[in-house]
Amino acid sequence: MTETVHLKKLDLSSPNILPKSYIAIRHPRMKKVLKIQATICMAAREYLNSLGFIELLPPIIGPVTDPGIRGAKQVTFDFYGREYKVMSSAILYKQMAMASLDKIYFFSPNIRLEPLDSAKTGRHLVEFVQIDIEQAYANYFDAMEIAEGLLTYVVKKVLKEHEEDLKDLGRELKVPRRPFKKLTHREAVNILRSHGIKASYEHEIPWEAEKELSFMFEDPFFIYDYPRGARGFYDREDPKRPGILRDFDMLYPEGYGEAVSGAEREYRAEKVIERMRATGENPAKYGWYIEMLKYGIPPSAGFGIGVERLTRYICGLKAVWEARPYPKVAGIYSP
Amino acid sequence: MPFRLLRGGCPYCDLCCTCEIARKAVYGRDALYPFLPSKEFGDVQAGGEIFFEGYTRFYNLDHVVLLPCLFLPDRLSKSVELGREPLFIDVDTETTLGGFKVKVPLVVAAMGSTDVANKRGLVLSEGSAKAGIIQVIGENVINMRGYDKRISSQPCLKERILKYLENVDSDYGGVLIQQNVEDANAELWNKVYSDKDLDEYIERGLIGFEIKAGQGAKPGLDGEVKVNRELALKLKNKFFFPDDPEKVKKELYERHSVPGTFTKEILKDMIKLAKNNYPRVKLWLKLGPYADLDEIIGVASKAGIDCITIDGSEGGTGMSPIAAMRELGYPTLVCLKKITDAKSRGIKTSMIIAGRLFEGGHLVKSLCLGADGVAMGRPFIIASEGRFGPANKPVKKLGNQVDGVVNFVEAIKVEAQMLASALGKYSLEDLSKGNVGALEKVVADMFNIQYVYE
Repeated sequence: MTETVHLKKLDLSSPNILPKSYIAIRHPRMKKVLKIQATICMAAREYLNSLGFIELLPPIIGPVTDPGIRGAKQVTFDFYGREYKVMSSAILYKQMAMASLDKIYFFSPNIRLEPLDSAKTGRHLVEFVQIDIEQAYANYFDAMEIAEGLLTYVVKKVLKEHEEDLKDLGRELKVPRRPFKKLTHREAVNILRSHGIKASYEHEIPWEAEKELSFMFEDPFFIYDYPRGARGFYDREDPKRPGILRDFDMLYPEGYGEAVSGAEREYRAEKVIERMRATGENPAKYGWYIEMLKYGIPPSAGFGIGVERLTRYICGLKAVWEARPYPKVAGIYSP
Repeated sequence: MPFRLLRGGCPYCDLCCTCEIARKAVYGRDALYPFLPSKEFGDVQAGGEIFFEGYTRFYNLDHVVLLPCLFLPDRLSKSVELGREPLFIDVDTETTLGGFKVKVPLVVAAMGSTDVANKRGLVLSEGSAKAGIIQVIGENVINMRGYDKRISSQPCLKERILKYLENVDSDYGGVLIQQNVEDANAELWNKVYSDKDLDEYIERGLIGFEIKAGQGAKPGLDGEVKVNRELALKLKNKFFFPDDPEKVKKELYERHSVPGTFTKEILKDMIKLAKNNYPRVKLWLKLGPYADLDEIIGVASKAGIDCITIDGSEGGTGMSPIAAMRELGYPTLVCLKKITDAKSRGIKTSMIIAGRLFEGGHLVKSLCLGADGVAMGRPFIIASEGRFGPANKPVKKLGNQVDGVVNFVEAIKVEAQMLASALGKYSLEDLSKGNVGALEKVVADMFNIQYVYE
């Protein structure tokens, strides 16, 4: 009994709870969140399987990983005398797998040693899982369609199976209205500017501005056609509109911010090598990947949706670490 | 003792420490006067130099002179402000440079992993921090010396960074961490940006990153050093070694970095990505004396770079092929002209000039011609010796080499104050083209300044 009383006093959204996740996980609220999360994962699989996607086992380690992650450090370790990385995202392997099975997805565990200021955002985890989807010969509008369908299906399923749980969590969740609004990056910047918020056509939308924008909408929405420069080398540049990428983010409404990042993929080695230089690295580091592109892969499009952020949105949680049983946040030593 | 004082700036320097630079490091502001250590005031008389020691191959800042006037309304204004006659000590040398608050717009130019620089790394860090000037830590230190643990007998990168930051006074200065291709392969900036020990300093705005895109002594070639066999074997997979340390046995092995491929788009992407990924640090760009400087400056400033340093072909190095030093690129004065032009095109980005500049006069003249600051590399190596005279028989040697760096900065600062005050300028920021003239017609035409013989 004493344990229950003690548990109920816990504020799960406080970072102080992180080193005590073995207690937090037993909190009645946390139990509900984890059950809803299980339903989210099941629903996502149902939806993707119904569209003919094949689930593959995700990669965990490899000679290289996605370098296009905002300021986050990769986990590097010694692999029998050579350097290896823990996946920061599975993007390179998505392209590899899509070239074989056309429509694939992973539940991909990712590690990103985020900068310390990310601990304050309430939406960054060092260890998390993304549902990572890729489809051969698809374009970025096809990918947006799948993302929209996926989210809507998952929300419906959770509403059906967890009405009581959501009520207990104090969450009023509505089925998103389709089609989701689609803004170009330029339009999003204009909206921000009209509200007196600083944003640039040439750059990514800053975290805070993105949050503000997210508060202006009642349903999830897309931003697409980001400017070249701040995204990974695998997001394809529009051949007819140099400087514009054929990529998108989906944002949750109500201030929850970024949900999904996706794009059409660059699949030509010469383009990828040029774009890779943005990080300053030697393309030789990406040896197998470049060889694969030279061997040839089909064009594709895809996206990744973070499971914890999705859970946070659905359950209406203050911090993303409330959506993970054993959360790791930058700089906080926890189980 | 027939002691001959060298001016400094020799092409090849073996740290004999008999030049004015070494003298400034040991004697500080006392070294601004031409009394030799063996001859006290009262025993010598002096006048300006009128002889060249040798003819330079190209025009340099010696072909530019400062033009003091008697009628100085600016001095009158300063006099009114102070309520007394102004002096050289009233010249304000403080400014902001590339996003950092500095006591003097003087920068310790990027010095990387090479023995001659890295072994003095901690002295340079402490000295420049105490002097309130910016220090750039050069390339390859992470791979050659380790990030937070030493992999050689010399300081690792984090030691050099922290030594600077722990000695910062009142948040003057800043430390820039340069990244080249091999550093990027090792994820250098990501490591710094997520380092718990450095986060406090990132928050205080004392850390910046510099993209390495060349240097004066070897534009288009990038880092070259020699390393011993043990280190060569460790680094074999990370760098190019003309002699494979596993197959060829020798004492020292040449180790090459790659220069990195750039296009307009690549540079733009690189700047935008870094600005996006590391929003809490300033981003600088280091360039060699390239023929397309105008275009590079345009692209970089538009993409949002905070500061550009251009190193002329006279720039120093720990190791570079003689042919590269002789043949590649614009002389420093031409690079300075590119800065002047960029400023006149309305580009607001901070710009620093480097390349065989080592005196307060060089600083003042560079500022007159549009630069926002001057970077020096080799002079700081000499200063960090803290010794005047040869190693086996020094005239004077300081107890603490750090004082050599601090004294040198002080001497340059006072020199600059004296020269600026003679021009009636009481802030280095007020220096302008009107304050300089040229001894050569070509130089006068180039900068559109007075030709003094006309």
